[in-house]
Amino acid sequence: MIQQQYIDSGILEAYVTGSATEAEVQELMYMKAQYPEINFALQQLELDMEHIAHQMAVAPPERTWDKISDTIDELILRPDYDPKHYTQDREDNNYQNFKQTGNGSQFIEVESESSHMKVHKSWKWIFAGVFVLGKIFLACAIYFYLENRQARLQINDLKTELRQLKK
Amino acid sequence: MKPQLTNTGASPAGTVQTKQSLYNSYADKLLGYIFEVVKSKPVAEQYLVDIFNQLQFADIQSISKPGVNTFCQLQMIARKKLAAFTTSFEECADTDVKPNGAVIHNNKFVALMGPEQQHVFCGLHYHGKSTAMLAAELKKPQEEIRRILKESFNIIRNQRNDTATVHR
Repeated sequence: MIQQQYIDSGILEAYVTGSATEAEVQELMYMKAQYPEINFALQQLELDMEHIAHQMAVAPPERTWDKISDTIDELILRPDYDPKHYTQDREDNNYQNFKQTGNGSQFIEVESESSHMKVHKSWKWIFAGVFVLGKIFLACAIYFYLENRQARLQINDLKTELRQLKK
Repeated sequence: MKPQLTNTGASPAGTVQTKQSLYNSYADKLLGYIFEVVKSKPVAEQYLVDIFNQLQFADIQSISKPGVNTFCQLQMIARKKLAAFTTSFEECADTDVKPNGAVIHNNKFVALMGPEQQHVFCGLHYHGKSTAMLAAELKKPQEEIRRILKESFNIIRNQRNDTATVHR
């Protein structure tokens, strides 16, 4: 029987191990569709392959799926850059050539996602300097306020003494 | 029992769910196969991530069709992706050979094969060699290589049936 000869030829095994030629793959696809015996034999070999893989399985680290889903999320969020959005009108500025269609924004709203902002680390020293200077100015302001109050009190005392002397 | 994949449509969220369903069902088997080829867990993991990242909705549909062995289709995608790696490391089998000729460690199926069967099976399955290449290496006609490969699968089949009988 042609089916049995075909199964015995080893083409099915070559196919599941990826070593069959393109012509052999095409032939196998035809034979598989034509003869249920060949289809069954191929299914059994595929189960063999899966069984080997099951025995050799290695559980992926937990973060692996996160790496995949992160990429999918990026793809979903990426705006659809349709060439139609760019007009051929060169009279206007370049940014004006980017026309929005009526289906909402073409850009991802970054600010609305988080209430936090990121700044460069070098700003740490600037903020520290501003904080220290602020403290110095505050101390000076309190000092001069107290000095001023003291001086006014002394002036008032002197005025009182002068009035008493004039009498 | 084969895991049932949920195909929830062409929407991005549906694709993510289907991809995750595929990942949950086959990632460990695929990683095991890739690891046997590349012999490095970080490299194997990166290949796994790349394979799943590059899976398009059309690919997912075609590999999840009824009557198609999804794992084998994923393995074929992995094999294509690993082709460059296996070409550059085609001497891997020679450096990894154990005293009894085994090139893949901890594989009970390969361990049951004879040295020639191991050479042919591992050369084709794990090292991406062609039948012609193995025929030249072993100085045998290609028909003989395929016969040896068939013998290897007979050993695997017998072992699988034995295991199934024990678990029954």
